[in-house]
Amino acid sequence: MAALPPLTRQLGCLRPFMRSHEFIQQTCRRTITTKYTPKPAPVDLPKNLPPIFYSQLPDRLRPDFKPKPFKIYPPPPSNAKKCKDPLTATTEAQLAVLDPTGERKALFDYRRSRRSVKPGDIIRVTFKNGDPFAGVVLNIRLRGVDTACLLRNQFTRVGVEMWVKVFSPNVEGVEIVQRTEKRKRRARLYYMRNPKHDVGSVENIVKNYMRQKASIGGVKGTANKKARS
Amino acid sequence: MIQLKTLLNCIDNSGAAVVECVNVLKKKRAGTVGDRIVVVVQRQRNFDTGIGVSAANKVRRGDIRHAVIVRVKKEMRRPDGSYLKFDDNACVLINKSGDPIGTRMSG
Repeated sequence: MAALPPLTRQLGCLRPFMRSHEFIQQTCRRTITTKYTPKPAPVDLPKNLPPIFYSQLPDRLRPDFKPKPFKIYPPPPSNAKKCKDPLTATTEAQLAVLDPTGERKALFDYRRSRRSVKPGDIIRVTFKNGDPFAGVVLNIRLRGVDTACLLRNQFTRVGVEMWVKVFSPNVEGVEIVQRTEKRKRRARLYYMRNPKHDVGSVENIVKNYMRQKASIGGVKGTANKKARS
Repeated sequence: MIQLKTLLNCIDNSGAAVVECVNVLKKKRAGTVGDRIVVVVQRQRNFDTGIGVSAANKVRRGDIRHAVIVRVKKEMRRPDGSYLKFDDNACVLINKSGDPIGTRMSG
């Protein structure tokens, strides 16, 4: 019984026969059909080829072949180079139209000019259309042509605040009615909205000022009187 | 910015002192000066006259009325870029055809 397993295995296994059969078939087929020819080595063009044969060659093989030149366009003219700082230029151009004398600019440039309007001052702004508006300056916003100041006043015990664009063509004149006694230590006096710090109505101060101005008779007063442009 | 539940001062002599906005008419956004709103009278004004409260007042607490906004806290932009704002919200009561209910306005 010990010799039985190898016997059965040999009997049942036909693969070796098949394998040899395949091999024979393959070799036979190969000998009949396939013939290996190596790729012919590239032949250089003959030196001193007469130009008459150039037309028979593809373009890239001709000795006088050059890649076709393509047109290079110059870049469009740069506006950035023409004007280095367009924002400043635009601001200046607009200010030259809106404020030719530069007086209004000096009147509100509170960081540079000494006689300018400062936060805490009471000013009166007259408009070309509409009523004049007087109030305490709470805030001066220096932004080139967009320079504006925030005025606060009270009408019938109701607080009114108004942002006035300083260079607006609608603004006819700006007068300093009263300067602050002490320099304010803040640039933005929003604390004046609290009832504790509110100056209230400036109507009486402005009325006094107008009366004084009328008595002087339109003559320009002292330093704190008038700055009209 | 007047919207639902905003409390406004009523500045006419119709008898209402404080009103509450319940609707902004013809607008999907918050109301501002000049807009018509619907209000509920929340507090009546007490006149010092000897007449009883109901006799002097044309409107009573709980009345639903139309009103026009005349002052807002939110700053309003003018066409020239200037802004205007007030310290309170105020309105004037009107009837449905647009005539004021009170005869005098303060402020």
